[in-house]
Amino acid sequence: MKNISTVLAVCGSMLLTAIPIAAHHSFEAEYDRTQKVTLKGTVTRVEWQNPHVYYYVDVTDPNGTVVNWAIEVGAPNGLYRAGWRKDSLKIGDQVTVEGFRAKAGGPHINGNSVVLANGKKVFNGTADQTAN
Amino acid sequence: MSTRRFVLASACAVALASAIGATPVAGQSKPAAPAATLPDLTGLWDGAPGGNTRDLAKYMKSQGQTIPFTALGAERYKKVDMAKNPNAYCLAPGPSRALTGPSPFFIVQHKDVVSFNFENHGVYRVVYINGKHPDDIADYPQFMGHSTGKWEGDTLVVDTVGINDRTWLDSYGLEHSDKLHLTERFQKIGPDTIKYTVTYEDPVFFTKPWTATLNFVHQKDRLMEYVCNDNEKDRVNLVPTPREP
Repeated sequence: MKNISTVLAVCGSMLLTAIPIAAHHSFEAEYDRTQKVTLKGTVTRVEWQNPHVYYYVDVTDPNGTVVNWAIEVGAPNGLYRAGWRKDSLKIGDQVTVEGFRAKAGGPHINGNSVVLANGKKVFNGTADQTAN
Repeated sequence: MSTRRFVLASACAVALASAIGATPVAGQSKPAAPAATLPDLTGLWDGAPGGNTRDLAKYMKSQGQTIPFTALGAERYKKVDMAKNPNAYCLAPGPSRALTGPSPFFIVQHKDVVSFNFENHGVYRVVYINGKHPDDIADYPQFMGHSTGKWEGDTLVVDTVGINDRTWLDSYGLEHSDKLHLTERFQKIGPDTIKYTVTYEDPVFFTKPWTATLNFVHQKDRLMEYVCNDNEKDRVNLVPTPREP
């Protein structure tokens, strides 16, 4: 919780300053800005690795089928400097994620924001500024 | 390579290096002598907030200037595929993009060399003070080129050639040829600020030299590791995409 509090404090200022989180690829070549989606589910894995942090969320669709979605966010270095820590999201956390779908299809998005079950926004990325 | 071509290339490289050294800066008849006490550039630096040079065409437009493309340069810029961003393939970003992109770098200054250690892709540049470009550098171009430097007053002036044509100059598809020649000036204008000026010359892509200027700000931080291929999984998802206007 201490780390979460730190992240929240830092990210509160991020909302105003929009710190760019660098990506190693061109955003437009992988994601579609016109396909914004909202996912609600449970965190199943967090990969704190370069060139991007990925985390995964189990989402149950209206038919009861569980689909594991991959969410790409910034590089660990940029996220760390913005206040994110490797335990900011933990396995089992209930989250609501907003992001943009991959052009290649499949359960894969670029995460723009993630909100915990208690309504606290853990991170507000800047998906339109991710091209390094 | 044939002997004739080797001799020709060597002569060209020497002539180029000579011309570079003799080229006066606009408005100056003669380069200034090194200052008696040189500024120390050592430390971690990054671009100043708001100085967005990831898109150089837009940045230049914001400065009231345009990039002077040749017909070929304009055509390549118009048709570039954003999926081919070299960064996405974990390749070195090139000497100037490593500075104008959004990642910090650590400068280590010595009397004979100035070393730039870039967080982005973990690459480096070594600037040989009062050095000379290898005679055959045009035959062996590198992603980060070959750099020599000299002090003009309090300003470090860096000359870079031998850059291969596989890097972009920015994040938005600004390509160049292996004839690219960079002249960069680093002037410490405050305890925590370096004024950076980079002049791009490339007769294949640009009709005349053009210059971008931005500031670097000292970072009270550490250099972190960036191993691009550690968990790379985006490459297979990239699709051919034109640059957004």
